[in-house]
Amino acid sequence: MLQVQDPLFCAWLAIILPLLGVPAIYIGGRLNGGLRDLMAVLFPIAAAVCCLLLLPLLFHPGQLPLEASWTWVSHPIALEIGILLDPLSLLLALVVSVISAIIAVYCIGYMKGDPGITRFLMLVNLFIGSMLLLVLANNLLLLFVGWKLVGLCSYGLIGYYYQDQRQYWIGGPEGEAPLTTPSFCGLKALVVTGVGDLVMLGGILILYHYSGTLNLMELYRTAPQWFPVMAADPGIVVLVSIMLLAGPIGKSAQFPLHEWLPEAMAGPGPVSALIHAATMVKSGVYLVARLLPIFYIGRWVAHCENASLFFSITAWVGALTAFIAATQGVVAKELKKILAFSTVSQIGYMWIGLGLAGLTQSTLVAGTGSGIFHLVSHAIFKACLFLCAGSVIHSVHSIYVQDMGGLRRYMPYTWVCMMIAGICLMGVPPLPGFYSKDAILLVNLEVNHIPIFVLAITTVGLTAFYTTRMLALIFHGSESGHVQHLHREGHTPHEAPIIMWGACAVLAAMIIALGAIGPQFAKLLDSGFAANLTGTLKLPLEPIAEKHGFNYHLIVTVLSLGGILAGVIPAWLLYGTRERRQISFRPGSLFRELYTFLWRRWYIDPFYNLVFVRGTLKLADLVALHIEESYDTLVHRRLPALVTEKVPRLLLQLKTESDNFLYVGAYLAAIFTAAIALALWH
Amino acid sequence: MLEHLLLQTILIPALAAPVIILTRRAVGRKAAWFARLGLSYSTLLLLFACLELARTGAPLLESHAFAGPEITFNLLGDGLSLPVALIINLLCLALSFYADHYIDHRIEAIYGEVDEHTAIYHYTRFYALFLLFPTGFMGVCFAANLIGIYFFLEILPLPLYFIMAMFGYIDRVRVAMICLMWAVFGAGFFLVGSIIVYYASGSFAVAGIQALAGSPAATWAIAMFLVTILAKMAMVPFQVWMPWVHAEHPTCIAGLLAVYANVAVYVMLRLIIIPLPADFQIFSTPLMIIALVTMVYGALLTLGQTDIKRFAACSTISQLAYSMLGVCSMTTAGIEGGMFFFLAHIMGKTIIFSTAGIIVYTTGIRDMRQLGGLARKMPLTTALWIIGALGLAGFPPMNSFPAEWIMFTGIFKAGLVGSLTKLVVAIGGAAAITLSVVYCFRSVKIIFFGPLSEQLAADSHVKDPPLSMSLPLLGVAATAILLGLWPSFILDLFHQVVGPLAF
Repeated sequence: MLQVQDPLFCAWLAIILPLLGVPAIYIGGRLNGGLRDLMAVLFPIAAAVCCLLLLPLLFHPGQLPLEASWTWVSHPIALEIGILLDPLSLLLALVVSVISAIIAVYCIGYMKGDPGITRFLMLVNLFIGSMLLLVLANNLLLLFVGWKLVGLCSYGLIGYYYQDQRQYWIGGPEGEAPLTTPSFCGLKALVVTGVGDLVMLGGILILYHYSGTLNLMELYRTAPQWFPVMAADPGIVVLVSIMLLAGPIGKSAQFPLHEWLPEAMAGPGPVSALIHAATMVKSGVYLVARLLPIFYIGRWVAHCENASLFFSITAWVGALTAFIAATQGVVAKELKKILAFSTVSQIGYMWIGLGLAGLTQSTLVAGTGSGIFHLVSHAIFKACLFLCAGSVIHSVHSIYVQDMGGLRRYMPYTWVCMMIAGICLMGVPPLPGFYSKDAILLVNLEVNHIPIFVLAITTVGLTAFYTTRMLALIFHGSESGHVQHLHREGHTPHEAPIIMWGACAVLAAMIIALGAIGPQFAKLLDSGFAANLTGTLKLPLEPIAEKHGFNYHLIVTVLSLGGILAGVIPAWLLYGTRERRQISFRPGSLFRELYTFLWRRWYIDPFYNLVFVRGTLKLADLVALHIEESYDTLVHRRLPALVTEKVPRLLLQLKTESDNFLYVGAYLAAIFTAAIALALWH
Repeated sequence: MLEHLLLQTILIPALAAPVIILTRRAVGRKAAWFARLGLSYSTLLLLFACLELARTGAPLLESHAFAGPEITFNLLGDGLSLPVALIINLLCLALSFYADHYIDHRIEAIYGEVDEHTAIYHYTRFYALFLLFPTGFMGVCFAANLIGIYFFLEILPLPLYFIMAMFGYIDRVRVAMICLMWAVFGAGFFLVGSIIVYYASGSFAVAGIQALAGSPAATWAIAMFLVTILAKMAMVPFQVWMPWVHAEHPTCIAGLLAVYANVAVYVMLRLIIIPLPADFQIFSTPLMIIALVTMVYGALLTLGQTDIKRFAACSTISQLAYSMLGVCSMTTAGIEGGMFFFLAHIMGKTIIFSTAGIIVYTTGIRDMRQLGGLARKMPLTTALWIIGALGLAGFPPMNSFPAEWIMFTGIFKAGLVGSLTKLVVAIGGAAAITLSVVYCFRSVKIIFFGPLSEQLAADSHVKDPPLSMSLPLLGVAATAILLGLWPSFILDLFHQVVGPLAF
């Protein structure tokens, strides 16, 4: 029986409270707007407090893991409901709950006066509860429940403006790129992530077949026994690796299932911050980290070479995604889409770290630690960026960065917060983005994976470029024509209300604080993961070899800072000057072609649209309008008619004025007679 | 009260039907309450029986003489039949409330402005016919011999035929005939199969079927039964009747049509898989392939629809195949999950079909392209449709979620211990769920999201329906969620029958 002071009780409360908030907000909304708003922030804050009470456990990893579970289904397979507290789940729960609580407060200001605010706040609370369920679940089934629920909330929140009013469309600018409606964007997100989810479900079930359990700790403990059995069946390890990664690839918007996230920006600003930057998209990273020990055991304990594929796919998917998305961010014109591409790209870094963790026995802790460190720092700075972006869009009534400019003087607090978060995104010391990104690059060199390292370093430069471009176009230089138009209309851009910039300021302060303790935080993570991975799970490790004689720390720092400068300087020269210049390329030039290629998102989205969307609908039309109709005509009209010709006299007798379908009866009777005769004859 | 409990569940609706006809002059529309009260009573009986069975583990067996020792009217209420009957009865009860307004709407649409006497005549005629459904379904569930099952399977097309012809939509007489002919087609093969069983075992008793095990007669009997089952379940290539019949029926029974088709999977389990597992093995892989093809074909067919009723009808084709896939995997989890999915599907489909009926009832429009933006004016209806969509797409907390999980556990097991073909089918089946997500939520977008047309915005009739239509569906949704949170209530009962067989 759980006691109130039991950490597991706190963990359960953290999940349940936001879920209880859903009906509470509804009831509050029926009674009084203020009560509704109170409920909307009270429950997430209470959940965050519950998680913060668990914080001391992070400093005592020896007390972990803690687990509690109950049987949910006994037959025909045993399924349980339970939670697990270990360094990974604890850290994620803290990040999710604290950032969610801050964003919940911001939502009250941002959504004030919106007619659907009750629905919005209910969905946000449902999301927070589901996300905490996902990260605290002790088994893959419950994790999958949370996984599906967060996807559903994401669908509801992306398509929040379901009436598809023109002002909520994204894409464009008109004439340059297609515009899409929020309801379409929500559907796209649900379907694309759904593809990955269902393939992953298959992978989980195969895993279950061999292991006989869905409990995470049991999976780890028993992997040395069942993994070799699974590896003995040809191709299964490869199949399972691919299938299990499909879910995280979809959820974390990694290549090739990354195309939904830019469209997910159709949702209100806080949704982008909460779901599509800080929390839900990280669930893919979390799941990879969760599955990592299983494949590590497969590779380094069961000595199954194929298990390496899990890590190789992870690292390569991360590297490619980081690079592709960053290049797309360089030319994006919508503020939130720049941040969306950035999110996709930065999650790619996390995948690199986790992928490299299992490729050698010496980088397990460093790889895992660096990937999760980047997850934490990214969650904070990207949430801050998105909230600031929401304030900016709110203020200038436009989603395009070209419509901004010179906003620094109107939105000083937002500018400060966004600059801090932006610099952190670039990876400038001493902010946490620097430490976490460089930790990943360092692991890269330790593993000696040069192609991925080159992609990662190139992405550093691209990140610096698009971040500088974004900040310059928003806050610096001269005011755009749109801003001048706003002045003329009497809508001078203004600072966001305190409830909004206050939330941004808290996040900015968290960035600085985490930066101040960056190295210590990295050590804390490493010690936590070391205690868990080598202590509790007893995974074999080898010390990092220092035979090469190079100072990898120095190399990484120099290259990383060089990459940042290589991105910042041209971006500032192009976009940071006082005069707003329209950059154009000569038609047919290489730059023009490259620009078009990137603007068209590498033609990946149009390709998917052509093949999967229009292709499926064409196929559906073919089935419905041609195959089925022809078949229907054949069965319900032609064949009876054929019988009519063979036995006209009989059917003439049967035919009535009102009912030609006695023909069918005759036809079926003939089949029957033949079938009965055949059966009896036999 | 508990004596002849199973018999009561069959006879009460059967007796209520003539009572409605006989009393309609005296009590008017209130005669429909005989149907509702009768169904409420039998639902409570079944709930009690399920709880008792869960507690004691002892199945109910009732013996009634009928025509000599060979054709008896024995009834069996075990872990398989009782939960199935309970959920079906619950749906009949919900639809008996839902139909109240809907059938008036159909009477007005078909027969025009009629005097109250004529309206009551049509109205009560519907309810009298409607009660043949629970009679037939309960009979199919509980009958312990082949003639009994055949008899009740043959009863079911009768209300279908007459209700379709009297209260259906466009071309209703022709479609009623199609429906009847396909029913006769299936029943004929069933009869042949039953006769083969009789000649081989000397009995029509379901319990006697296992005497055929290993004999060539078993293969023939299975083949005959399977034709019936495949036709009833609208598996490819027998799917062609489903879009017509489901789309043109009055929507207040469309949910029961899903039951009519899906109950065949129960029959399949009862008559083939449980008594003749070894003989069924050779059919397992081909049927799984057929199921996968039907899942994909049905989903594409659904995506190609513009008519809201045909949309729901075609999705049934795809969804029925899931149960078939699970049951044909020949694993305990696959069978129990497949049966649980059957129940989840009929609940989800009742919600979707009935909500489609609400839309047609309020807007008078069937073409989905002319709808859009209805969420603004019909929030409760939107919520119902989304709940139904969640059920069909297998999202938590709906009961289809644990059903799919358990079912696919069994299907994957079959693939991993069996042939590569089965593994490919398992992966294909899991991936095919994506198509369900696509068509379910695409329909939400088309019907409920986006801008509302000026015509619909101006129409004062376009609003959420009366509570008598929405509350029963909310009740079904609540039950589906309850069973999603507490699936053990049903699964433990299934396991009493399927578990000991050790597939």
